[in-house]
Amino acid sequence: MKNNADHETQLQQFQVEHNFDFVAIALVEPAENQYVLKWKYTSGNLSNRIKKVVLHSGKGIAGTVFKTGKPLMIKNRSEFEQREDLFNYPILVFENLRSMGAVPIWHNGRVAGVLLGGYREADRMSDEKLQILIQTAAKGIGNLDGKELMLN
Amino acid sequence: MPANKDLRLELMLKMFTNSTEAIFFFDREGKILSLNPAAEKIIDATVLEQLQKGAELAICRACRGYTSSTEIQTCINCYLSSTQPEDFSSFQVFLETKDKGVVPYAATFHSIDPENGIRVFMLRDLSVQFKTQKQLHQNTMMKHVIEAQENERKRISRELHDSVAQELLSAVIELRALKYMKGGQEILEKTEDTKVTLTRLLDDIRNLSVELRPAALDDFGLEAAFRSHFKRIEESYGITVEFKADIHKKRYGNEIETVFYRVCQEAVLNSIKYAFVEELKVSLFKKDDFLQLIVKDHGVGFKQGENPRGTGLGLYGMKERADLVGGRVDIFSEPGKGTTVHLLVPIGKAGETR
Ligand SMILES: Nc1ncnc2c1ncn2[C@@H]1O[C@H](COP(=O)(O)OP(=O)(O)OP(=O)(O)O)[C@@H](O)[C@H]1O
Ligand SMILES: [Mg+2]
Repeated sequence: MKNNADHETQLQQFQVEHNFDFVAIALVEPAENQYVLKWKYTSGNLSNRIKKVVLHSGKGIAGTVFKTGKPLMIKNRSEFEQREDLFNYPILVFENLRSMGAVPIWHNGRVAGVLLGGYREADRMSDEKLQILIQTAAKGIGNLDGKELMLN
Repeated sequence: MPANKDLRLELMLKMFTNSTEAIFFFDREGKILSLNPAAEKIIDATVLEQLQKGAELAICRACRGYTSSTEIQTCINCYLSSTQPEDFSSFQVFLETKDKGVVPYAATFHSIDPENGIRVFMLRDLSVQFKTQKQLHQNTMMKHVIEAQENERKRISRELHDSVAQELLSAVIELRALKYMKGGQEILEKTEDTKVTLTRLLDDIRNLSVELRPAALDDFGLEAAFRSHFKRIEESYGITVEFKADIHKKRYGNEIETVFYRVCQEAVLNSIKYAFVEELKVSLFKKDDFLQLIVKDHGVGFKQGENPRGTGLGLYGMKERADLVGGRVDIFSEPGKGTTVHLLVPIGKAGETR
């Protein structure tokens, strides 16, 4: 297993290559008899605050993708804010994301993690960008894939 | 005793002129014989004129019916023409008044001179009492609703925590045991998968249970429930809650503890939603026979009475809850300075248990 620094370098390469303002990977942390999610690797982040946040299944961006197993895209945060309480999505607030996409990373028929790519401007996220995220989640970033995440 | 009689007459006259009750005297035909100033004050000028002229049944122009056992406002078997005046020793009647619209009155109507058929009609304004009663009714309703909701939450939460989660846990443990049995690698992998699925499900159920109503509140009291609530808040929202408690883990009875927990929950959530802060302070303490809670943030603040950004029901609910246990909530907020929510509930020596 490679160490965290390696993973963040690989994530940074991915961010630069595809012109995201911010990318992050959340993964499941099995604690004693419970599963929580944490944003473990980030690149382009404004602070490390988001790494302290622990999400339960169904909560926040990562929790929603984790639970539903479906990609989630916000093209414009102002619209999203109309129907959802922003405070339930700390990553949008802390990293000041105005548009973003988040996709599940699968392993053995189960969601092992979440890959997020976002922008600090509205309407920068597109269907093409979402496809990139989906493909990346399927093949892994460097040596970081679903299996690797699962082992964590 | 003539002196005594004079006194009585004088008193009767004073009562007639100064009473706040409206008094009408009717003859056999329902014509007015006399009415006191209080009665004049409530009757509309044109009706009053008719009354004073002695027009027959002039009072009907102002009367909007009385409350019978079957109807709230009716003219059937009218008190004025009823053959059984004793039925009307105490009843409710509605009158169209000069300046307050239709008002319900507590009325009595009875004969005071059967020989000459003279009857007296007396009215007492009930609107103030009605308002009090309505308020009282609303408060008890609210209390019942809050209580019912809380009990239901407790029941479901308990059920999830004690039976559903418990069963699931034993399933997980049984699966764990499979590891030590003989079997193919494939089967072992599959059971491992099932174990993960069940564990996630178990986690979901536990969270649901805590969100409904934390068992810690009932089992270990406010301090413990607050601590684990704040831990979750810190984890979920990346906000630091500085919590101070000096109640030494004392218990204060289910009702009071629930009020404190819910008010705190709402105040803290408001700070997270609206104040835009990274940190907030909560203190729980006993002072001067009051159990007190202070939730303070140094965020954006707001002007009270101004349009709320959300529903505005939260602050109302806090006050209602505090009211239920004879306490109160004070909210101090100033734009740019922050918000403080202060809950005080009186606890006599009897308030504490354990
Ligand atoms: N700590 C705070 N900082 C800034 N503004 C606040 C704070 N608490 C309340 N407010 C303001 O007061 C309003 C009323 O709050 P209240 O709790 O009554 O309703 P709400 O939170 O908007 O809706 P609900 O509680 O039903 O979700 C809020 O909409 C917000 O504008
Ligand atoms: Mg609120």
